[in-house]
Parts: sequence; structure tokens; C-alpha cells
Amino acid sequence: MHIKKSMKMADVIQMNYMLIPVIHRFGIELGFGDKTVDQVCEENEVDLNFFLQLVNAYHDQDYFPKEELQSIPVREIIAYLKMTHASYLNNTVTDIEQKIKSLELEGNEDKKYIALIRNFFEGYKSELTEHIMREEDVVFPYVLAVDEIIKSEQFTDKNKKVFESFSIEEYEEEHDDVEEKLMDLRTIMIKYVAPPANTNLYHSIIQDLFRLEEDLNYHSRIEDKVLIPKIILMEKSIKNLF
Amino acid sequence: MPRISILIAESTCLIRKGLSSVIQKLGNVEILQSVSNKAELCDIVNRLKPDILIANPNMFDSDYEDLKKPFVAANKMSLVLISEDKSIEDTYNADAFIHYKDNQSKILEIIEEIVNQKAEKKRINKSNETLSSREQNILKHIALGLTNKEIADQLFISIHTVVTHRKNITQKLGIKSVSGLTVYAILNNLINMDEVK
Repeated sequence: MHIKKSMKMADVIQMNYMLIPVIHRFGIELGFGDKTVDQVCEENEVDLNFFLQLVNAYHDQDYFPKEELQSIPVREIIAYLKMTHASYLNNTVTDIEQKIKSLELEGNEDKKYIALIRNFFEGYKSELTEHIMREEDVVFPYVLAVDEIIKSEQFTDKNKKVFESFSIEEYEEEHDDVEEKLMDLRTIMIKYVAPPANTNLYHSIIQDLFRLEEDLNYHSRIEDKVLIPKIILMEKSIKNLF
Repeated sequence: MPRISILIAESTCLIRKGLSSVIQKLGNVEILQSVSNKAELCDIVNRLKPDILIANPNMFDSDYEDLKKPFVAANKMSLVLISEDKSIEDTYNADAFIHYKDNQSKILEIIEEIVNQKAEKKRINKSNETLSSREQNILKHIALGLTNKEIADQLFISIHTVVTHRKNITQKLGIKSVSGLTVYAILNNLINMDEVK
């Protein structure tokens, strides 16, 4: 079932709780009573079309109405992706790291194993950070430059330089799975480590890992299915333009 | 498909031989030996470790339950009981029952099912988890941070072989990344934590 503007926002969240962090990134807070999606978006000055496309893409893997997605302004997508990045690094990943650390601090004979897990997770974190930094420092500025060229229909010295320094194809190639390590970590925790005394905390870490993975999958879906195809089209039209 | 070994313990010679010849009709089984008394049975089970034990409960006398644990469970055998007495199904606990009056196809059906279960288990055990010693050795080198080329050179095998081993290791363990494999290697004492760079 697709999410429509006339639905109650509360029902949307009931339908898929994974959307809680998504709406939060838009600055929408819970407690919307019986307000519809339409009303909530208006109150929070969120682009309704973009919001609908995004939550539907999150909610349903196979949802990809090309035309509607094409109409979303590039700036909005980039702004959203940046918000998502920040929330990963500042909240989700940090929270998991904290949990692992406190598990380690409870220390007993399992300490050695928890230290292994912590090291591993830190390795993952720096890989993810690197990946995100690369997107923010190289890919996003490039995308914005492409957008600017299309809109103004001309090159400036600045955006020409950015445009020539990169191509989205490059990004496609290097957009490899940062998630691989994450999957390995949960496999190790589930299959190969005997849980420490504080099983509650240990279990909650595993559940967090699953959720982070799911959220990251959504995130890459937006990048792979919305951003990249859009930019490929734009690159083509720039080439035709000049 | 792995071969399944069967041991028959029944005091009546005719039944023993007869059952054995019926079971032979199943393709992938091997009848280890048939025995006629308890002492012999214990000895052979310990020595040959059959997958399936077909036994007449009258061989165990009254201490059937006592025997079952150290014996059947400890040796991971499936137990099939054979008797002329229909009431054994109520008295005893086993994976399957055969009666003297069962016809050939019924007997084959019963045994075949147990054999298939066993074969399936063996197959799963084989494809899961347990790395061969070669794979363990390669995993150790991966965990120490060596490249495929370096591993190939050190072990005098081709890079292609190393790649194949790596694929199998990843498939068996469900771990893809080098750092994940390293953690596994440490957890399983293949390498020491201080050896890792």
C-alpha cells in the first residue's frame, strides 16, 4: 500500500516504524494527532512531493515512479542525504559504539572478545565516515554543480572545474558495500561469540546493528535509484547542450 | 551423497541375515556387521561407530534405558527397534520400529527415511562451519593480513587455488571482510591477538 497525502501521519508510522527516523530528519516530530501527511508537511515546510516519494521509496523496495522522482529538486535530495549522514554518525553509530563500550567496561572474562568487537566496529565506523566524507566533499558538490549548469545553461569557471573533475560513473563504481562489515559483525556476534553476562545489552546491540543495516539499505536505495539516475540524465543533457 | 553405515543387532540368525539382505537393496548404505549378543554389540559400536543401529530390544534385557543414553545418544546413532512384538512401540522409545511381519517395501520405506535423515545431517555438517585444516591455514594467513599472492607464494599453491579457498571459507563462515575473518580467527585461536597488525 502506498502512502498518500490524505493519510493520517500517525497511520503512516504505525504501518512502518522504520519511518520514525526518516520523518525526524525532516524535522517532523511525533505527536501529530489526527493530522494528515499533507497538513504535517505544510506545517513543517517540507516539500510534499519529495516527502511522499521518499517515504514510499523507503517503505516499498519496488516503488520507483521515475517521473515523480525526476521532478524532485536535486538540492532537496542532497539536503536530505546530508541530514541522514549526520544522523548516522552523530546518533546511530555513536549509540552502538557506546553500548559496546559499556559492555566492555562491565568487564569480566569475556572482556577480550568484547574488545575484539569494539575494534571491529571502530574499523567499520571509520570506513563509513570516510565513505560519507567522500560523498559530502566530492560527490555532492559535483551534483550541485551539475544542477547549476543545467539551470543556468552555462559554465562558470568554478562549476566547469568541478564538472570536469569527476563523473557520476566513478561514483557508481566506488559505491561499494560499506554494509559488508556490518553484516560480518552481526554474523560473528550471532554465530561465533558466546554472549557475555549482560545478555540484554548484547542482544540490544545486535538489534541495533540490524536496524542500522536496514536503514543504510534504504539510504543507498535513494542514492542508487534516485540520485544516480538523475545525475546520469543531467550529465547527458549537459553534453548535448554544449 | 555420503554412505550411511548400519549395524544390526538381533539374536535370531534368520532374521539378522534376512534383514541384512533386504536393506542391501538401498543404494547408499553399508551393513557393517550383524551381532547376536550384548557384549559384542557394545564392542562393535565403540569400534565402528555406525550411523544407524537396528536392534531387537530383547538383546538389552531390562537395562534398555540405561544403555540408550551412553550408547545411542553418545554415538549419535539413530535407533531402529525390531521385534515380533507389536507392543514395543509403547514400551520403548526409538526413531523407528520394524515388525517381523512387515513386508519388504514397508521395511525399506522405514529404513530409507532414517537413512535420508542421516545423510542430510551429514551433508549439512560437512558444508557448514567446519573448515578443513587447509582452509584453516589459509584463513590464518588472511587474518595476518597477507595478500592472495603472498599466501600463494608461501604455501606453494596457485593464486587461483587461494581464491577458491577464500570463497569456500567465506561461504562456510558467512563472513566476507578481512577484518571479520580476522576476528573469527582470533576467536577460534587460529592466531593470537598480538600477531595482528
